[in-house]
Amino acid sequence: MGTPTIRVLMVDAHPLIRGVARLACEEAEDLELVGEAADAGEALNAATALSPHVVILDLDLPDGGGQDTLARLKEARYPGVVLALSERGDGAAVLDALKFGVKSYLLKGAAMRGLADAIRRTAAGERIIDPGLELGAVLKLGEFARKARESSEVAALLTRREQQILVYLSEGLTMHQMGTRLGISPRTVETHAAKLYRKLGARTRVQAVARAARLGLINLD
Amino acid sequence: MSKHPDTPARVPAPKRRLGVILVDPLPVVRAGLRLLIDDRPDMEVLAEAGSADEGIEVIQRVRRTRVVVLVGLALGGERDAFWLIRSLRERFPSHAVLGMGANADPTAISRALFVGADGFVDKNIDPVEFLQALRKAADHEMVLATPSPVQVGQVAQGLERRREVEIKLTQREREVLVVAAEGLTAREMAVRLGVAERTVTTHLARIYGKLGVGNRMAAIRAAARSGLVTVGTPE
Repeated sequence: MGTPTIRVLMVDAHPLIRGVARLACEEAEDLELVGEAADAGEALNAATALSPHVVILDLDLPDGGGQDTLARLKEARYPGVVLALSERGDGAAVLDALKFGVKSYLLKGAAMRGLADAIRRTAAGERIIDPGLELGAVLKLGEFARKARESSEVAALLTRREQQILVYLSEGLTMHQMGTRLGISPRTVETHAAKLYRKLGARTRVQAVARAARLGLINLD
Repeated sequence: MSKHPDTPARVPAPKRRLGVILVDPLPVVRAGLRLLIDDRPDMEVLAEAGSADEGIEVIQRVRRTRVVVLVGLALGGERDAFWLIRSLRERFPSHAVLGMGANADPTAISRALFVGADGFVDKNIDPVEFLQALRKAADHEMVLATPSPVQVGQVAQGLERRREVEIKLTQREREVLVVAAEGLTAREMAVRLGVAERTVTTHLARIYGKLGVGNRMAAIRAAARSGLVTVGTPE
């Protein structure tokens, strides 16, 4: 009764760390390293072509490549599981990774020693994460919930007009230009804007836009 | 602000006994929790209630600090657990509020957190852990106490979905969606909301646009996925 082989894809920018995974897989009978990738593009191609059971993903790939890979794997409904490696152990980083569907989360360095075991357990559906790291993510979750509630509450206060003006404010339109677009007088625009500022707890246009962006009510990109 | 030279500066005051208020539809659950809690030297049950309204009523009479309210998510009806949690958050912000359930899915947990719960405890966990969760909540620490590891990521995703739907909608549009999810016709919705039928259809059209959907059922599905509305009976 042979154990089925676990197919592993290793994604890391550093050849040395990829080497650690290769070794771990070579030493284990039930693990097979089917591919290696050094960036998001390669990772995605390899995941599609090789259908690994476990993707070991370096979250610290340059240019946000790790997060990018996660988002795209999720989008592509990749059926395997992801074991993330990261240098960051703060709650925000861990929560972010878990939110994107990472199954296990290991800190680089110490955790690498038990890599083969972590791969096996992750493939079997277990979540491998240091309890301290998970606690950090849970605490962050509380903050996340508070912020989500707050942005929803502020958004509920805004009228459609105010929402529209908020977008125009962020685009840098003058009151006059807004008036022309909305077919109302600049004075009326100013009245709406004043109410909008008050609801956002802002005194100036920059404050209002910054606060709205923080709450996720507008997108500044 | 007078200083007492006799008082050692670094001895923390003993913590006040933790007061627990139980709100759960099942008397057996309340009785069991009462036995468990009253047996501890550092905590006691202050009051219990079987419905949200009754809960508000008993909580109003409580004059204490270090209070944790346990809200059973199985509380149903129009004033359900989520309504209660939101009301408690608004009216008694200094009390800690914990959602409580059995094998609750991540969506239920994120709904509870979104409306203002300070955490969630599962009735299936070890009693010692359950009590520890109460103590943490009393110290205003976020707790997620479940028998299997919490799907923290899924709970966060749930919160994000809710937020993304809600920030697009005005208060009125949210109300319209909630009524729409009950399966009323536009005319019935208009009566319920006290507006003209045309106004309702205008609101609905705007909601479809904002949520990027083509019809009422799709809008309700999107709202239900986010936890803004419930379709059918919860739990």
